[in-house]
Amino acid sequence: MALEPTLTINDTTTFSDAISFSVTDSLTAAAPAQALSLVNATATGAASIIVPASTAIAYLFVRHTGTTDGSTGTAQLVDVEFTTNEAVARLGAGEWLFMPIFHAGEDVGVQLQVAHASIVQCEYAYWTKG
Amino acid sequence: MATTTATVSISSSDLQPGNNLSINASSTLMKTGLTTGMELMDMGLGHLTQASGRDALHEALGTTDSANWVYICNNSTDDQQYMKIGIHETVIGNLGAGEWLWMPWNMGDVDAELNIEAEPSGTIPYEYAIFKSAPYTLPVSTPA
Repeated sequence: MALEPTLTINDTTTFSDAISFSVTDSLTAAAPAQALSLVNATATGAASIIVPASTAIAYLFVRHTGTTDGSTGTAQLVDVEFTTNEAVARLGAGEWLFMPIFHAGEDVGVQLQVAHASIVQCEYAYWTKG
Repeated sequence: MATTTATVSISSSDLQPGNNLSINASSTLMKTGLTTGMELMDMGLGHLTQASGRDALHEALGTTDSANWVYICNNSTDDQQYMKIGIHETVIGNLGAGEWLWMPWNMGDVDAELNIEAEPSGTIPYEYAIFKSAPYTLPVSTPA
Protein backbone atom coordinates (compact mmCIF):
# COMPACT_ATOMS: atom_id res chain seq x y z
CA MET A 1 0.00 0.00 0.00
CA ALA A 2 1.45 3.32 -1.06
CA LEU A 3 1.41 6.49 0.97
CA GLU A 4 2.52 9.77 -0.56
CA PRO A 5 3.35 12.60 1.85
CA THR A 6 4.28 16.03 0.50
CA LEU A 7 5.70 18.92 2.52
CA THR A 8 5.57 22.45 1.16
CA ILE A 9 7.22 25.44 2.83
CA ASN A 10 6.48 28.94 1.58
CA ASP A 11 7.58 32.34 2.75
CA THR A 12 7.56 35.44 0.60
CA THR A 13 7.81 38.08 3.30
CA THR A 14 10.70 37.33 5.68
CA PHE A 15 13.74 37.57 3.45
CA SER A 16 14.52 39.36 0.22
CA ASP A 17 14.76 35.92 -1.37
CA ALA A 18 11.51 33.96 -1.12
CA ILE A 19 11.50 30.50 0.43
CA SER A 20 9.58 27.99 -1.60
CA PHE A 21 10.29 24.34 -1.58
CA SER A 22 8.40 21.11 -1.74
CA VAL A 23 9.43 17.54 -1.06
CA THR A 24 7.47 14.39 -1.59
CA ASP A 25 8.06 10.69 -1.20
CA SER A 26 6.35 7.42 -1.93
CA LEU A 27 6.20 5.24 1.16
CA THR A 28 5.16 1.64 1.60
CA ALA A 29 2.69 1.30 4.45
CA ALA A 30 1.51 -1.82 6.21
CA ALA A 31 -0.70 -2.89 9.10
CA PRO A 32 -1.24 -2.01 11.81
CA ALA A 33 -2.47 1.44 10.89
CA GLN A 34 -4.98 3.95 12.17
CA ALA A 35 -7.06 6.06 9.82
CA LEU A 36 -7.48 9.75 10.54
CA SER A 37 -9.03 9.96 14.00
CA LEU A 38 -9.75 12.39 16.80
CA VAL A 39 -8.59 12.06 20.39
CA ASN A 40 -9.08 14.28 23.42
CA ALA A 41 -5.66 14.63 25.02
CA THR A 42 -5.55 15.32 28.75
CA ALA A 43 -2.93 15.68 31.45
CA THR A 44 -2.82 11.90 31.66
CA GLY A 45 -0.72 10.67 28.77
CA ALA A 46 -1.64 7.04 29.27
CA ALA A 47 -5.24 7.95 28.50
CA SER A 48 -4.33 9.14 24.99
CA ILE A 49 -2.12 6.46 23.46
CA ILE A 50 -2.26 7.03 19.71
CA VAL A 51 0.29 4.42 18.60
CA PRO A 52 0.27 1.14 20.52
CA ALA A 53 3.52 -0.36 21.78
CA SER A 54 5.61 -1.73 18.95
CA THR A 55 9.20 -2.09 17.85
CA ALA A 56 8.30 -1.00 14.31
CA ILE A 57 8.70 2.37 12.58
CA ALA A 58 5.40 4.25 12.26
CA TYR A 59 4.67 7.15 9.91
CA LEU A 60 2.86 9.46 12.30
CA PHE A 61 0.71 12.51 11.60
CA VAL A 62 -0.56 14.57 14.56
CA ARG A 63 -2.39 17.91 14.44
CA HIS A 64 -3.46 20.10 17.36
CA THR A 65 -6.97 21.24 16.37
CA GLY A 66 -6.77 24.37 18.52
CA THR A 67 -9.95 23.34 20.29
CA THR A 68 -11.09 21.32 23.26
CA ASP A 69 -14.08 19.82 21.51
CA GLY A 70 -14.06 20.90 17.89
CA SER A 71 -15.44 24.38 18.60
CA THR A 72 -14.14 25.82 21.89
CA GLY A 73 -10.72 27.33 21.33
CA THR A 74 -7.67 26.50 23.41
CA ALA A 75 -4.02 27.48 23.29
CA GLN A 76 -2.85 24.74 25.63
CA LEU A 77 0.22 22.90 24.37
CA VAL A 78 0.24 19.18 23.66
CA ASP A 79 3.28 16.97 24.11
CA VAL A 80 3.89 14.09 21.74
CA GLU A 81 5.86 11.57 23.75
CA PHE A 82 6.75 7.93 23.99
CA THR A 83 4.78 5.88 26.49
CA THR A 84 8.01 5.87 28.49
CA ASN A 85 7.34 9.62 28.99
CA GLU A 86 10.30 10.66 26.84
CA ALA A 87 9.36 13.82 24.93
CA VAL A 88 9.44 13.97 21.16
CA ALA A 89 7.76 17.28 20.33
CA ARG A 90 5.37 19.93 21.63
CA LEU A 91 2.51 21.18 19.45
CA GLY A 92 0.70 24.50 19.75
CA ALA A 93 -2.76 25.34 18.44
CA GLY A 94 -3.09 24.50 14.77
CA GLU A 95 0.37 22.96 14.52
CA TRP A 96 1.09 19.54 13.09
CA LEU A 97 3.95 17.11 12.59
CA PHE A 98 4.70 14.24 10.26
CA MET A 99 7.59 11.90 10.96
CA PRO A 100 8.69 8.28 10.89
CA ILE A 101 8.65 7.81 14.64
CA PHE A 102 10.86 5.13 16.14
CA HIS A 103 12.41 4.54 19.53
CA ALA A 104 15.52 2.52 18.70
CA GLY A 105 13.60 -0.72 18.40
CA GLU A 106 12.19 -0.55 21.90
CA ASP A 107 8.69 -1.90 22.40
CA VAL A 108 7.00 1.41 23.22
CA GLY A 109 4.02 3.40 22.01
CA VAL A 110 3.26 7.06 21.47
CA GLN A 111 0.91 9.16 23.58
CA LEU A 112 -0.34 12.73 23.80
CA GLN A 113 -0.29 14.72 27.00
CA VAL A 114 -1.41 18.24 27.86
CA ALA A 115 0.91 20.10 30.19
CA HIS A 116 -1.93 21.43 32.35
CA ALA A 117 -5.24 20.08 33.54
CA SER A 118 -7.04 20.74 30.32
CA ILE A 119 -8.38 18.99 27.24
CA VAL A 120 -7.06 19.43 23.72
CA GLN A 121 -8.65 17.73 20.77
CA CYS A 122 -6.07 16.36 18.36
CA GLU A 123 -6.27 14.70 14.99
CA TYR A 124 -3.92 11.84 14.23
CA ALA A 125 -3.19 8.91 11.96
CA TYR A 126 -0.36 6.43 11.68
CA TRP A 127 0.80 3.75 9.30
CA THR A 128 3.41 1.11 10.05
CA LYS A 129 6.38 1.17 7.70
CA GLY A 130 6.13 -1.74 5.28
CA MET B 1 5.69 40.63 8.74
CA ALA B 2 7.46 37.35 8.41
CA THR B 3 5.02 34.63 7.53
CA THR B 4 6.26 31.13 6.91
CA THR B 5 3.67 28.54 6.02
CA ALA B 6 4.11 24.78 6.23
CA THR B 7 1.66 22.54 4.43
CA VAL B 8 1.41 18.78 4.33
CA SER B 9 -0.65 16.58 2.11
CA ILE B 10 -0.79 12.84 2.62
CA SER B 11 -2.51 10.81 -0.04
CA SER B 12 -3.09 7.22 -0.99
CA SER B 13 -5.31 5.49 -3.49
CA ASP B 14 -5.15 2.01 -1.99
CA LEU B 15 -4.99 2.35 1.79
CA GLN B 16 -8.70 2.74 2.37
CA PRO B 17 -11.12 0.56 0.39
CA GLY B 18 -13.43 2.66 -1.74
CA ASN B 19 -12.05 5.91 -0.42
CA ASN B 20 -8.93 7.75 -1.49
CA LEU B 21 -6.93 9.04 1.45
CA SER B 22 -6.34 12.78 1.22
CA ILE B 23 -5.11 14.57 4.32
CA ASN B 24 -4.24 18.25 4.07
CA ALA B 25 -3.03 20.50 6.87
CA SER B 26 -1.38 23.89 6.91
CA SER B 27 0.00 26.08 9.65
CA THR B 28 1.85 29.35 10.02
CA LEU B 29 5.06 29.12 12.01
CA MET B 30 4.80 31.04 15.24
CA LYS B 31 7.48 32.38 17.53
CA THR B 32 7.40 31.51 21.19
CA GLY B 33 4.41 33.30 22.64
CA LEU B 34 2.39 32.82 19.45
CA THR B 35 3.83 35.84 17.64
CA THR B 36 3.86 35.34 13.90
CA GLY B 37 7.23 35.45 12.25
CA MET B 38 10.18 33.10 12.42
CA GLU B 39 13.15 35.24 11.46
CA LEU B 40 16.12 32.90 11.70
CA MET B 41 16.74 29.99 9.42
CA ASP B 42 19.52 27.46 9.01
CA MET B 43 19.35 25.52 5.79
CA GLY B 44 21.83 23.30 4.09
CA LEU B 45 23.06 20.10 2.60
CA GLY B 46 25.39 17.66 4.25
CA HIS B 47 26.98 14.26 4.02
CA LEU B 48 26.76 12.02 7.03
CA THR B 49 29.16 9.11 7.40
CA GLN B 50 28.46 6.07 9.47
CA ALA B 51 32.01 6.19 10.77
CA SER B 52 31.46 9.58 12.38
CA GLY B 53 28.84 8.16 14.75
CA ARG B 54 26.23 10.46 16.21
CA ASP B 55 26.57 14.11 15.20
CA ALA B 56 24.75 17.14 16.54
CA LEU B 57 22.82 18.81 13.73
CA HIS B 58 22.11 21.71 16.05
CA GLU B 59 22.89 22.45 19.66
CA ALA B 60 20.16 23.47 22.07
CA LEU B 61 20.17 26.93 23.62
CA GLY B 62 19.56 25.53 27.07
CA THR B 63 17.89 28.70 28.23
CA THR B 64 14.21 29.45 27.83
CA ASP B 65 11.78 27.32 25.89
CA SER B 66 11.50 28.39 22.29
CA ALA B 67 9.51 27.46 19.22
CA ASN B 68 11.57 26.01 16.40
CA TRP B 69 10.74 23.84 13.40
CA VAL B 70 12.88 21.18 11.83
CA TYR B 71 12.88 19.65 8.35
CA ILE B 72 15.28 16.81 7.62
CA CYS B 73 15.36 14.69 4.48
CA ASN B 74 17.48 11.62 3.82
CA ASN B 75 18.56 12.02 0.21
CA SER B 76 20.15 8.61 -0.10
CA THR B 77 19.02 6.45 -3.01
CA ASP B 78 20.22 3.27 -1.29
CA ASP B 79 17.20 1.77 0.45
CA GLN B 80 19.46 0.06 2.96
CA GLN B 81 20.68 3.37 4.33
CA TYR B 82 18.79 5.21 7.02
CA MET B 83 19.31 8.11 9.40
CA LYS B 84 18.67 7.87 13.10
CA ILE B 85 17.23 11.10 14.49
CA GLY B 86 17.58 11.84 18.18
CA ILE B 87 17.15 14.45 20.85
CA HIS B 88 20.10 14.06 23.20
CA GLU B 89 20.07 10.42 24.32
CA THR B 90 16.61 9.58 22.96
CA VAL B 91 16.20 8.18 19.47
CA ILE B 92 12.93 9.59 18.15
CA GLY B 93 12.88 8.76 14.46
CA ASN B 94 14.26 6.75 11.62
CA LEU B 95 14.47 8.27 8.15
CA GLY B 96 14.76 5.79 5.31
CA ALA B 97 16.12 6.69 1.88
CA GLY B 98 14.07 9.55 0.44
CA GLU B 99 12.05 10.06 3.62
CA TRP B 100 11.58 13.40 5.38
CA LEU B 101 10.23 14.70 8.66
CA TRP B 102 8.73 17.97 9.83
CA MET B 103 8.41 18.56 13.54
CA PRO B 104 8.67 21.22 16.23
CA TRP B 105 11.77 21.24 18.41
CA ASN B 106 12.09 22.88 21.78
CA MET B 107 15.58 24.09 22.67
CA GLY B 108 14.80 24.87 26.28
CA ASP B 109 16.80 22.09 27.86
CA VAL B 110 20.56 22.17 27.45
CA ASP B 111 20.34 18.38 26.99
CA ALA B 112 18.11 18.73 23.96
CA GLU B 113 20.51 18.88 21.05
CA LEU B 114 19.29 17.45 17.78
CA ASN B 115 21.31 14.43 16.66
CA ILE B 116 21.62 12.62 13.37
CA GLU B 117 23.46 9.39 12.64
CA ALA B 118 24.02 7.39 9.44
CA GLU B 119 23.37 3.67 9.43
CA PRO B 120 24.36 0.97 8.69
CA SER B 121 27.35 1.99 6.58
CA GLY B 122 28.69 4.43 4.02
CA THR B 123 27.80 8.08 3.48
CA ILE B 124 24.31 9.55 3.38
CA PRO B 125 23.53 12.87 1.68
CA TYR B 126 20.90 14.82 3.55
CA GLU B 127 19.29 18.23 3.58
CA TYR B 128 17.79 20.17 6.42
CA ALA B 129 16.17 23.42 7.43
CA ILE B 130 15.66 24.75 10.93
CA PHE B 131 13.36 27.73 11.47
CA LYS B 132 14.14 29.38 14.78
CA SER B 133 12.44 31.92 16.99
CA ALA B 134 15.15 32.51 19.58
CA PRO B 135 18.11 34.66 18.66
CA TYR B 136 21.63 33.60 19.38
CA THR B 137 23.79 35.57 21.75
CA LEU B 138 27.01 36.38 19.99
CA PRO B 139 30.14 35.22 21.80
CA VAL B 140 32.42 37.82 23.32
CA SER B 141 35.21 38.83 21.00
CA THR B 142 38.64 38.06 22.38
CA PRO B 143 41.27 40.47 21.05
CA ALA B 144 44.30 38.79 19.54
